[in-house]
Amino acid sequence: MTVQSSSLRRFFRGSQVGLFVVIGLLILLFVIGVSVSDRFATSRNILNVYEQSTGLALVSLGQTLAILTGGIDLSVGSIISLSSMLTSGLINGNPSMVLPVIAGVLLIGIVIGAINGGIITVTGVHPLIVTLGTGAILQGITLLYGLGPTGKVPRGFDYFAYGRLPAGFSVGATFALVVFLLAAFLLRNTRTGRHIYAVGDDPHAATLMGLPTRRVIMLVYILSGFFASLTAIYLVSRFGVGQPYTGANYTLSSITPVVVGGTMLAGGRGGVLGTLLGVYLVSLLNNLLNFLDVSTHFQLVAQGLVIIAAVSLYVEKRRIA
Amino acid sequence: MTMAKANQAAPVPRASLTARAPDFVRSYGIFIFLIAAIVVTFAISPAFLSGANVSNMLMQLAPLGIVVIGQTFVVLVRGLDLSVASVMATAAVIATSFGGQNSDAALIFLACIGMGAATGLANGLLVTKRNVSPFLATLAMMIVLQGLRFAATQGAPSGNIPSLFRQLGSATLSGMPYNLLVMIVVAILFGILLHRSAFGRRVYITGGNPVTARLVGIAADRVTILCYVICGSLAALAGLILSGFVGVVDNFVGRGFELDSIVAAVMGGVALSGGRGSIAGALAGATILVVLSNAVVMVGMPVQLQIIVKGLVIIIAASLYVRPARA
Amino acid sequence: MLSLKGIHKSFPGVNALTDMNLDVRSGEIHALVGENGAGKSTLTRIIAGVHQPDSGELSFDGRAVRWSSPGEAKKAGIHVIYQEFVLFPHLSVAENIYIGHERRNRLGFVDHRRTRRDAAELLARFGLDMDPAALVQDLSVADQQMVEIAKALVHDVKLLILDEPTAVISGPEVDVLFRRLRSLRDAGVAIVYISHRLEEIFALCDRVTVLKDGKYVATREIGAVNRDDLISLMVGRSLSDLFPPRRKRSDEGEVVLDVRGINVPGRVHDASITLRAGEITGLAGMVGAGRSELAFAIFGALKTSAGQVLLRGRDISNVTPARAIREGIGLVTEDRKGQGLAMQLDIAANVTASTISEVSRFGLIDRRREEEIARGEIANFRIACRGPATSVSLMSGGNQQKVIVARWARTSTEVLILDEPTRGVDVGAKAEIYRIIQELADRGIAVLMISSELPEIVGMSDRVVVMREGHIVGELSSAEISEEAVIGLATHQSAA
Repeated sequence: MTVQSSSLRRFFRGSQVGLFVVIGLLILLFVIGVSVSDRFATSRNILNVYEQSTGLALVSLGQTLAILTGGIDLSVGSIISLSSMLTSGLINGNPSMVLPVIAGVLLIGIVIGAINGGIITVTGVHPLIVTLGTGAILQGITLLYGLGPTGKVPRGFDYFAYGRLPAGFSVGATFALVVFLLAAFLLRNTRTGRHIYAVGDDPHAATLMGLPTRRVIMLVYILSGFFASLTAIYLVSRFGVGQPYTGANYTLSSITPVVVGGTMLAGGRGGVLGTLLGVYLVSLLNNLLNFLDVSTHFQLVAQGLVIIAAVSLYVEKRRIA
Repeated sequence: MTMAKANQAAPVPRASLTARAPDFVRSYGIFIFLIAAIVVTFAISPAFLSGANVSNMLMQLAPLGIVVIGQTFVVLVRGLDLSVASVMATAAVIATSFGGQNSDAALIFLACIGMGAATGLANGLLVTKRNVSPFLATLAMMIVLQGLRFAATQGAPSGNIPSLFRQLGSATLSGMPYNLLVMIVVAILFGILLHRSAFGRRVYITGGNPVTARLVGIAADRVTILCYVICGSLAALAGLILSGFVGVVDNFVGRGFELDSIVAAVMGGVALSGGRGSIAGALAGATILVVLSNAVVMVGMPVQLQIIVKGLVIIIAASLYVRPARA
Repeated sequence: MLSLKGIHKSFPGVNALTDMNLDVRSGEIHALVGENGAGKSTLTRIIAGVHQPDSGELSFDGRAVRWSSPGEAKKAGIHVIYQEFVLFPHLSVAENIYIGHERRNRLGFVDHRRTRRDAAELLARFGLDMDPAALVQDLSVADQQMVEIAKALVHDVKLLILDEPTAVISGPEVDVLFRRLRSLRDAGVAIVYISHRLEEIFALCDRVTVLKDGKYVATREIGAVNRDDLISLMVGRSLSDLFPPRRKRSDEGEVVLDVRGINVPGRVHDASITLRAGEITGLAGMVGAGRSELAFAIFGALKTSAGQVLLRGRDISNVTPARAIREGIGLVTEDRKGQGLAMQLDIAANVTASTISEVSRFGLIDRRREEEIARGEIANFRIACRGPATSVSLMSGGNQQKVIVARWARTSTEVLILDEPTRGVDVGAKAEIYRIIQELADRGIAVLMISSELPEIVGMSDRVVVMREGHIVGELSSAEISEEAVIGLATHQSAA
C-alpha cells in the first residue's frame, strides 16, 4: 500500500471528514440562497447570519467537549435559564453590579458543572440521567427565583449581543469565533486536550494507561457549565432581561450542531471546528428558510432532516456477529 | 468448601445483610419508597388520600403510565425514545382534524395508532439498519414530527375532539377514571406480552446480549424495531387519552413526557444498559412521579419544588441501581 | 525487583488466586506459564494495580507497595502489555505511543512534529515500517501489537510484563521482539513473559514460574527443566483421570458436514474440513489462527466469500444462525458471557433460548414445560443450582458452561461445535464436560472441538485438524495424535 492511499483513507476516516460534510452542506445552502434571492448574498444578510449564531455557538462549545468524552450535558438549558434570571435579577439596573454579577454567574456555571462531573465520576450513573436530574433541579430553582422575566440591565449591556466591530462584525459572534479557535488549538495542542479524546475513545484503556480520567470528565462538565452561563449572559444582553424558560430549547438544540459537525455521540471523535461550522449551518438554514418564505414551522422539519442526513453519513460499519 | 461452611457457622449476619441489601433495594426499593411517600404525605396532609385527590392522581397517572409501558420495551433493548411526546401531540392534533363526531372515533383511533407505529418503525429502522444512536434517531424524529405538526396546523391547532375521547380522558366510573381502566388493560396485555410471551423472552435476550441473541437464532433487529413500534403506538394512544383529559388541543400536548417516561422507567429499575426491568417496576416509577408531584402541593410547598424533587429522586434512584464495578 | 508473597484474590464466586508467590529479579526474563484459568491474567492485573489483592504482600523495587490505581504502578516503572490491546483506535500511532507522556515544546504545548519524529525513530529501531501518523484502527492486528510493544519502550520502565505478545505476530516480528527484549534485559529491566508457546520460553527466558488453578506450583531455572517437566508441572495430574475412556471405533461414521474451501475475508483462507457422525474432531492452532472464525462461518454468523458448506450433501452456505439451528447445528462460543449467556435470565430461559417457539404455545411461553425441560437438563448435566429459576449470573463458570452445552445439546441433532469448551472452568467441571461431549458423540452427533489446550485436544479427539494463519495446515489421524505433532503443525513458520 502506498503512503498516498493510506493518507487519503485517513483523510476520509479521520475527524476531518465531518468538516467537509458540513462545508459541502454550507456551500449547497449558499448556492440555493443566491438563486432564491438577490438579497441573500449581501454582506448585510451574511453578517446577520453570523450575529444570530452567537448563543448557539457558545452553548454548543461546552456540549461538544462533554460529547467528546462520550457523555452529554442535558442540564445546559436549565443552567442558561437560571443564569439569565440571576444576571438580570441581581444586576437589576445597577451599573456597578454588572461586573461582579457576571463573575458570580460564571462561577455558578462552573460550580454546577463541577457538581455534574462529581456525581458522574463518583456514582457512575450515566451522564444522560445525571444531567437530566440536575437540569430538573435547576429549572425548579429558577422558577423559585422568579416565575416570569425578572430584573433589568443597564443601558450598554446589549453591547455583547448587538455591538458591532469595524466592518460590521458582531461583537458576540466574533467573541464566540475567537473562543472556538482557541478551544480548537488547546484541544489539539495540550495534554488535557488529547486526554479528552483518549477518554472518549476508550475510557477503560485510558484508566489502564494511567490517564487522569476522572479529572478530564470533571473538566468537560465544568466547561460546559461555564459556557452555558456565558450563553445566558449573551441572551440577557440580547433580550434585556432574564427569563425562566429562556434556555429550555437549548438543551437539545445544542446537540444538533455537534453531531452535524461530525462529533460522535460515542465519544473520541470529532472536534469543535466541526461544531462551529454546524452552528453556522443551522443559522444559515434558518435564514434561508426565511428567504424561501417557508412557514417557520418547516424550519424544524428541515433541522430534523439535516440531523438524520448528517448522522447517517457518519455511520460506522457494524461489528461482527 | 470448608471456607463456605465456616462462613455459615459464624454468627455474623451483618456481612450477608450488607451484601444482600443492594439486591433487595434493586428489587423492592421502588415499592417501599412509593409506600413511604404515600404514608408520609398522608400524615402531613390527610386530604392527600381523599377520594377526589386520589381520583385526580390516577387520572394523571394513566397517560404517563401508558407511555412508560412503551418506553420500557425500548429501554429493554438498549434504546430510548425521545419522540414519544411529539407523537402524543401529533395524535392530539389528528384527533381534532376530523369533525369532532363520535362516528369518526374509530377512524381517528386507527389514524393515531398508525402514525405512532410509523414513527416507531422509522426510529427502529434508523437505529438498527443505519446504526444511528437511539438518542439522535428519536431526537430527529421528534423534531420532524413537531415541524410537520406545526406546518399542518399553522401553529394554531383548532377543532374539537369527539366527546367519546373526552369522556375516556376525563370521566370516572364512580371515582375510577376511565383512562386508568385503559391503562390497566394496556398494562395487563403488554405485561403478558413482555413477561409471558415468546416475543417478550426475545426482547430480554436481545437487550441483555444482542450477540447472544443472534447466535441463538433470534432476529434481533426485528425484535428491536418492534419495540420501537410498540412504544410509538402506545405513545399515540396516550396522546389521544391526554387530549381528552386536557380538552383543548395545543401543539405541546404531552410536553415533558419523553423525559418523565424515561425517568419513571429508570426509577422503576429498567436499566438503560438493557435487558433488565419490568412493567410493574416502571409503573411504580410512574406512580412515584405523580405522587411526589401531588404531594408537594398537598403538603403546602411551592409548586416549583415538584420538579426539584423529581430531579433529586432520579439521581438518587439511578445511583442505587448502578451495578458495582466488575472485575 | 518484584516479589509477591502469599497473595490471595477472589472475585464473587471464584477464588482467582490462592497463596500466590512470585519473585522476579532485575535483568532477567521470567516466564509465567500455566493453563488457561491458572491465574496468570489476574496476577498480572494485581502487579499492575488494576486489582487489589485481598491479602498477601507485594513489594516492588525493595519497598512494600499497595497500588490504588494503574497510574501509580505505571509511575513506579511497571508497564504491562495486555493480551487485549490498550490502544485508542481513533488516535494516531505516534499519539498512542506517547499518550500520558506527551512530547511538549517549551511553552508546554504538545509538540506534534516531535511526537511523530520520535515515534518514527522508535519504530525504526524496531525495524518497523509504519507511518506514525496512521490511525491505529487502520493498522493490521500484528502492527497494533507492535505499537503496544513500542509503547513500553518510551518509558523509564523497570518491570515489563508481556501477556501473550506473540499471539498475533509471526516469524520476523517475533525475532525483532526477542532481540529488543534481550537488550532490555541486558540494560537491567525485569521482564515477565507470559506465553503458551513453550519453545519461545526455552528460547528467550531465564527462569520460569508455573501456576495452576490459581495456585503457585514452582519456579525453576530454565536450564534445569525440559518440556515434559514443564508440561507435567502445568497439568499436574494424571490425564487419564480427566478424559473419558476412549472407545474402540469399529467403523468410520458417515460424513455429516462437508466444508469445502470456504473463505472468510482476512480470517479464513480456503478451509476444507469434514465432520463424521459419532466422531470428535479436534481443531487446534494458535489464538488468532482463524479457528473461531471458521466455526462462525459454518454456523452462519460470519459471511463467507467463497466455498461451500454441505450438510449431508445439501448446500447450507451462508445461512443465518436461525436456519443453522433448525438444520441441527449448534455452536458453543468461546466467550461465555459475551456471546453465550443471557446473564440477566435464569437457567430455564437460557437452556431454551434457541428453542423459544418450541416451548411456547399461541405465542406464550409455557413456563411449566420450560422448567420441566430445564430440570431434566440440570439432572442430566449435573448442574449445581437451586433449580431452574436460578439466575445464571450467580453460578460458577463450569456450571454456566454446562447450561450452554445443555442448550445446544438439545438442538444439535447433526453437528455440535464447541469453541474452548473448558476455558476458565475448574478441574472437576472439566471432567464432566468431557464426559458430556463424549456422550453426545456416542449419540451419533458430529462434534468439532476447538481448543488451545493441548492435553484436551490429545485426550479427546478422534482426529485433529490444525489451523495456522487462516489456513488448514494438516490433519492427524487417531494414531498420529500427539502434543508434539500438533505443536509442530500449529507453529511451523511459513516458508515465506
